[in-house]
Amino acid sequence: MTVPGIFGLHDVPLSIVREGISLSIEREGEGLFYKRKCMDEEVDNVFLSSNSKVLINPIEPLNKPKELTPYLLIEFERSIFIEPAARKKIFIKFPVEIGIFVHGKKDYQIIDILTMAKQKFTLYGSVKSGVICRYWKSDIYFTMPEVNPVYEGLIELSMTNTTMKWVEVTTAVFNAYGMKIYYSNDMVSMKANMRITSKKIAETGFVGSHLEKGMKRSLELYVSRKIPMIATKFLMEDGI
Amino acid sequence: MILDTVIYGNVTGFDLLKVVVFLIIGVLIARVVVIYLRRSLKDRLSRDIQEVVIKVIYYTIIVIALLLVLRLLGIELSGLLVAGGIVGIVIGFASQSIVGNLVSGFFLMVERPIKIGDQVNIDGTSGFVEDIHTVSTIIRTYEGLYVRIPNEKVFTNKITNYVANTARRFEYVVGIRYTDDADEAIEIINDLIEEHAIALKDPSPTVFVDNLGDNAVNIIVRIWAPPSEWYDLKMEMLWKIKKGLEENGIEIAFPQRTVWFANELQKQEVS
Repeated sequence: MTVPGIFGLHDVPLSIVREGISLSIEREGEGLFYKRKCMDEEVDNVFLSSNSKVLINPIEPLNKPKELTPYLLIEFERSIFIEPAARKKIFIKFPVEIGIFVHGKKDYQIIDILTMAKQKFTLYGSVKSGVICRYWKSDIYFTMPEVNPVYEGLIELSMTNTTMKWVEVTTAVFNAYGMKIYYSNDMVSMKANMRITSKKIAETGFVGSHLEKGMKRSLELYVSRKIPMIATKFLMEDGI
Repeated sequence: MILDTVIYGNVTGFDLLKVVVFLIIGVLIARVVVIYLRRSLKDRLSRDIQEVVIKVIYYTIIVIALLLVLRLLGIELSGLLVAGGIVGIVIGFASQSIVGNLVSGFFLMVERPIKIGDQVNIDGTSGFVEDIHTVSTIIRTYEGLYVRIPNEKVFTNKITNYVANTARRFEYVVGIRYTDDADEAIEIINDLIEEHAIALKDPSPTVFVDNLGDNAVNIIVRIWAPPSEWYDLKMEMLWKIKKGLEENGIEIAFPQRTVWFANELQKQEVS
C-alpha cells in the first residue's frame, strides 16, 4: 500500500490527514504550532524556531504508551521447525511507531511519537530474572507480504541453526539499541538475524542494510554509539 | 613567629599549617574527581553502582591525602600500625554501633538486597531508597518524609524490595449478583485486561469464580504488571472493571438479606 509523502523531510507549514492521523504544523512569527490527533490521543505544542523543517520517520516501536523497555518480543502465529545446520530466511511483521522531529541548525529534536498499532507488554523469562518486552504477534511469511507502513513494518529474519538437531522457534526477542530501520513511502523494514545455539538459546541482532533499493535510513532514538557499554544484541536464554 | 613555634618533636606551627592546607587540597581534589565522575558516568552506569564507585574513589583519595600528611606530623606508618592497633581496639569498644553500621553498610553494598531508587519496606518504613551511605541508608517515604536508618538495622531487619523482580502481581475480588452471568463477567474482565497495554500478556492474568459468598458470586482477578507501573495499573483497572461490568448489565453486589415469613403477612388497615 502506498502512502505518498507521510515519511521524509517536510517544509513548514505542513498538514497531513491520513488513516486516522491528523497532523498540522503552522508558523506564526517565531513560533511553530504543532497539532496532532491519532486514535484517542491529542497533542498541542508550541516550538520557538525560525527556520525549521520537520522530519517524519519510523522509529523503534518501544516508546508508546510509555518507554518501559528496550526489548521487542514477536510471537509467531505458528511454530517454525528449522532443520539441523541450516540457514533459512523468513519475513515477520513488527509494529510501527512514527517519530516527528524538528530539524533546525543541524540538530534534530523529537517532538512527538504516534502509533496506530496495538500496544501490549509481556514478560520474557522468569519473574525473578526475565525482561519486560513490548509484545507483538505476527504470522510468518516466505515472501514479502503487503504491509501498511503507518501500521506495520517487515523484518527479514535470517535464522541460522548451528546445532545438529531440529529446533522449534516460536518467539524472537530484539534489542532496540541494535535496530536499523529503513523506510520508503510503501514500506518500513529491518533486517535481523537469529543464531540458534541450542534448543533453548539463540542470539538476535540487526543488519544495517535496506530491504529494497531506494529506502532511506530512519533517524532512530535508541542510539548506542555514544554509550559503548550498551549491548546491541539480545541473548534469548529463556527459550525460543 | 608563631609558625616557627615547636609544637612537639620536630613539628612546628608551619608544619601544622601545611597539614591543614594539604588536607584541604586533598578534599578539593576528591570533590573535583567526584563531580567529573558523576558527569562522565551518568549515562554509563546505573545510579546505585555509580554511587558506590564514586564513594570508593572519594574515600581512597581522602585516605591517601591523610597518609601523606601524617609524615609532616612526624608520624611514621610503621609506628602508626602499632598505635593504630591499640587505638583501633579503644575506638572499637567506644564506638561499637558505628563500626557495626559501617560493617553492615559494607555487606549491604556487597549483597545488594536494595539499590538506590528501589521501593522498599525496611522495618515498617516504606518508600524509595534515596542513598546508601557507609553507616546509614536514607529512605524517602511515600509521604515525602526523610528517614535515616542505621545500616545495622537495615541489615538485621526484614527487607521487602517491591521492585527487585521483573514483574509483580495484584489481585481484586469482584462480587457480582447471583442473577448475573459469571461467565460473561469473566469474559468482560479478560477483554478489559487484554485491552490495557501495561497489564502483562505473560504471565497471563487469571480470572475465575473463587467462591459463592453470602451476598455475591466472588470473582478473583489476578493481573501481572511491571513493578514501576504496578500501583497506577491497580488503581486504574478496578474502576474500569466496575464500569465495564455495569455497561453490560452486570452489577456489583451489595450486602442484602431475603426474609421469608412463615405465615403470610396480615394486612392491617390504618385509618
